Amino acid sequence: MSLTESKERTGNFRPQDAPHYDDVLQCMRCGFCLPTCPTYVLTGRERSSPRGRVALARAVAEEKLEFSRAVRDEAFFCLDCRACTSACPSGVRAGEVMEVCRDQAQSFYPLGRTGKALREFILEKMVPSPGLMEASMLPTRLYQRLGIQWLVRHLKVLNLGPDWMAKAEGMIPELHKPLRPQLPPVVPAKGEKRGRVGFFLGCVMTLMYPSVSRQTVRVLAQQGFDVVTPRDTKCCGAPHLSEGDRTTARRLAKFNLDLFMAEEIDYIVTDCAGCGAALKEYEELLAESADQRSLEIFRSKIRDVSEFLFEVGIREEGLVPVNATVTYHEPCHLCHAQGISRQPREVIKHIPGVELREMNESNWCCGSAATWGLKYSEESQKVLDRKLENVRATNADYLVTANPGCHLQLAWGVREADMPQKVLHLMELMGRALPPDSE
Amino acid sequence: MISTTAIAHLKEKLGDSQVLHEKEDLLTLGYDSTPGVHHLPEVVVYPQTAEQMIWAMEIAHREGLPLTPRGSGTGLSGGSVPVRGGMVIGLSRMNRILEIDEENLTATAEAGVVTLDLFNAVAAKGLFYPPDPGSQKISTLGGNVAENAGGLRGLKYGVTRDYVMQLKGVLPDRSLFCTGGKSVKDVAGYGFKDLMSGSEGTLGLITEVTVKLIPPPQDKRTILAYFNDVRTAGEAVSRIIAAKIIPSTMEIMDRATINCVEDYVKIGLPRQMAALLLIEVDGHPAPVAEEADGVRAILEQVKAAEIHVARDAAHAADLAAARRTALSALARVSPTTLLEDATVPRSRLAETFGEIERLTQKYGLKVGTFGHAGDGNLHPTVLCDERDQDEMKRAHDFYNELYEQVLASGGTVSGEHGIGLAKKAYLSRQIGEGGVRVMKRIKQAFDPEGILNPGKIFDEGDPCTTPHVEEGFRVSH
Ligand SMILES: Cc1cc2nc3c(=O)[nH]c(=O)nc-3n(C[C@H](O)[C@H](O)[C@H](O)COP(=O)(O)OP(=O)(O)OC[C@H]3O[C@@H](n4cnc5c(N)ncnc54)[C@H](O)[C@@H]3O)c2cc1C
Ligand code: SF4
Ligand code: SF4
Repeated sequence: MSLTESKERTGNFRPQDAPHYDDVLQCMRCGFCLPTCPTYVLTGRERSSPRGRVALARAVAEEKLEFSRAVRDEAFFCLDCRACTSACPSGVRAGEVMEVCRDQAQSFYPLGRTGKALREFILEKMVPSPGLMEASMLPTRLYQRLGIQWLVRHLKVLNLGPDWMAKAEGMIPELHKPLRPQLPPVVPAKGEKRGRVGFFLGCVMTLMYPSVSRQTVRVLAQQGFDVVTPRDTKCCGAPHLSEGDRTTARRLAKFNLDLFMAEEIDYIVTDCAGCGAALKEYEELLAESADQRSLEIFRSKIRDVSEFLFEVGIREEGLVPVNATVTYHEPCHLCHAQGISRQPREVIKHIPGVELREMNESNWCCGSAATWGLKYSEESQKVLDRKLENVRATNADYLVTANPGCHLQLAWGVREADMPQKVLHLMELMGRALPPDSE
Repeated sequence: MISTTAIAHLKEKLGDSQVLHEKEDLLTLGYDSTPGVHHLPEVVVYPQTAEQMIWAMEIAHREGLPLTPRGSGTGLSGGSVPVRGGMVIGLSRMNRILEIDEENLTATAEAGVVTLDLFNAVAAKGLFYPPDPGSQKISTLGGNVAENAGGLRGLKYGVTRDYVMQLKGVLPDRSLFCTGGKSVKDVAGYGFKDLMSGSEGTLGLITEVTVKLIPPPQDKRTILAYFNDVRTAGEAVSRIIAAKIIPSTMEIMDRATINCVEDYVKIGLPRQMAALLLIEVDGHPAPVAEEADGVRAILEQVKAAEIHVARDAAHAADLAAARRTALSALARVSPTTLLEDATVPRSRLAETFGEIERLTQKYGLKVGTFGHAGDGNLHPTVLCDERDQDEMKRAHDFYNELYEQVLASGGTVSGEHGIGLAKKAYLSRQIGEGGVRVMKRIKQAFDPEGILNPGKIFDEGDPCTTPHVEEGFRVSH
């Protein structure tokens, strides 16, 4: 092919970690993604749509546009929900292009000295260190301590809604002790052994939903798997990618890769859709900085817990009926980022006594999206309202999901709206079907 | 350059969020789905009413800005690309369905209503709005009328124009117009409504559309046939039509298209087959069964490799949805997808496929072909890279030669996508210089100052970018 211009064209992007020009050219501007994009639906503004965002990236690459404030704002206004990726017949990944742009934004619009120091402390020191995270959370106000308050205030990514503080506080569930130090390194399989899995325990799961992951481990063991939970597991890096810090994300990824590759395990299972999506993307993230072969092996082992259970087949003997109606909200990072839609439903259908009532638009985002729901609380509320309306229409007893971010947002939303549904993680639902002696 | 006072004025009259002028907005509102054309407007406005539209036009007039209407920008001939800059008038936010009149079987909606939304709203009342362009999830009703969009059901049910009963809007001289009505019969004077349909936004701005509805077919059968070569599929289509069977849908995809679509939808389309025909017959149950048998018999006669019947309604819907993604899915293969809209009499289909194959070889290109085979409307799509000048030249020659054949066989250079920018140079070849002259006079009568969507369909005097033909595929501002 006699190309007149080089294939990789970075133009006004900083060359390192620029969006691939080919990925951007891939968009044929058909617009199939438009109706699926929450920020386009909210604003009706083309530049806040996947097609528009890709066009902005293209304009920067072609030097028709500087990496302007508006480009930065669009990168952060994007929920990174990946609904557009599912919708795009041409295989364009607008969400990922925007994720890369968030990283670019750090060098075009650097923070002030204190802001930078704080940001570095949180993203580079605190979140990567499980010990520090646990310490920071001890009493109340952990949500702020976790750094979200700071992120919201200091990244100045956007004008904050006035009610974000109240929301942040209102969202925190009742806290129990972090799970990480409590979990035995290996929980042995019950009954006939079917294999040995590594459990990737996510930060938010251990800190905010320890009881959920406890159920996950219980379910895995009851299903016949030894469950290995490496103590040293670090954050998967998703918050760093989301805030535009690819460097720390790479460091964490490399650490987790080596950690799990050293274990004798058949699979690496997680109950956090966000972690799962990030782990599955290590292959791309580390393409230039880790051994290709081990990346491939690592990638081939990652499973969301529902994906895993569906694949190995659920052992039904001994399950006790859970008499309830449930509806299922699909986390974006499960259905759009990982393409896992059918498996969680199959798991639900395998739980005796449970009736699954499908809601409309089950894969419409809940509006949480890491810190997005706090930065844009008004917009987030609108996205959430559409979700809650669909939940309400099902009249189900439980609202089941599979990601801690959605869990926080939905539990808060349901409470605020005075709705009767209780929000459960899929593994909590399944945990109820396990005989009590399987503890 | 539009003045800051004019912007302030627009904002005051229309509201802040309905007036966009930052570079980032202009950059994302200067394209449609046509490759290689991108021109920035100076300002984009989203009027909510005809009155606001007149206001905006008044200001544009004072500032000397040309006007370009825009629906969702899914057009495939560059119709909503503001080649002369100026003001883009966005209609996508005028999106209320105003009335579904069950006594008269009509629906009235603002021009920005998404086609599928209208379809669903009337379906909820047990009625049927047949026009269904592949882009129905995104395209607007106004855009459909302006392009006279066809669709998968065009074969039996016709195109958008066949359903338009009344149009309301604003003329370039800033006066309101209303043409047509709810009366089924209406021959009062010239047929402006029919002229507006397919006028590509060059004669007037449509704000409100009233369409005819029909009762939905009671029964439907979907048949899927696979072929070992494309020409046989073309022959099957001609024979089905010759047997006086009119399916509602008869869509074709070739191997390249099947593979790209399957990569996306993953519903088990057979990757090794040379072509697929998706055929739907609908209507009353008895004739449907009879027609389905007739179709099957013909498919067997021409020796289709495999013949399947859709398992159920959901399966049939999946297949139709898969077909609708064909063009976008082809874009997986290469950075640039250049699509054409060649349409021939149905008896010439097999021969046209042969021609496409021959030219693909001759010019050494990658081509995927799909389309509304039952209408003789094919979309041969060259999969290329706009950075490769030589390949672009070959693509250009390919289309030039193909259109020569198409016109020789009594076909047309556009079955449904319009002339816009992309096919201006071909138009006179089909309708002759005299034909173009008459069209220009019509344009003159509606828009003597030439302010509405200038540079589309034909050039008035100064040459304008005609990307496929004159200048190669240059992206220009
Ligand atoms: C994947 C894909 C599949 C497609 N399949 C089909 C198909 O099967 N059949 C088919 O016919 N087309 C098809 N198209 C082409 C396109 O979708 C249609 O032409 C559609 O009607 C354009 O609608 P729009 O709202 O996007 O209009 P735009 O692209 O925004 O505008 C199209 C033209 O209409 C004018 N216009 C828009 N709104 C108004 C208004 N209110 N008043 C006056 N002028 C107006 C514009 O100036 C422009 O000239 C397809 C496109 C894509 C991307
Ligand atoms: S991102 Fe994909 S779906 Fe959206 S306009 Fe581009 S090609 Fe179409
Ligand atoms: S990731 Fe979500 S918010 Fe971002 S462009 Fe895609 S659909 Fe829109």
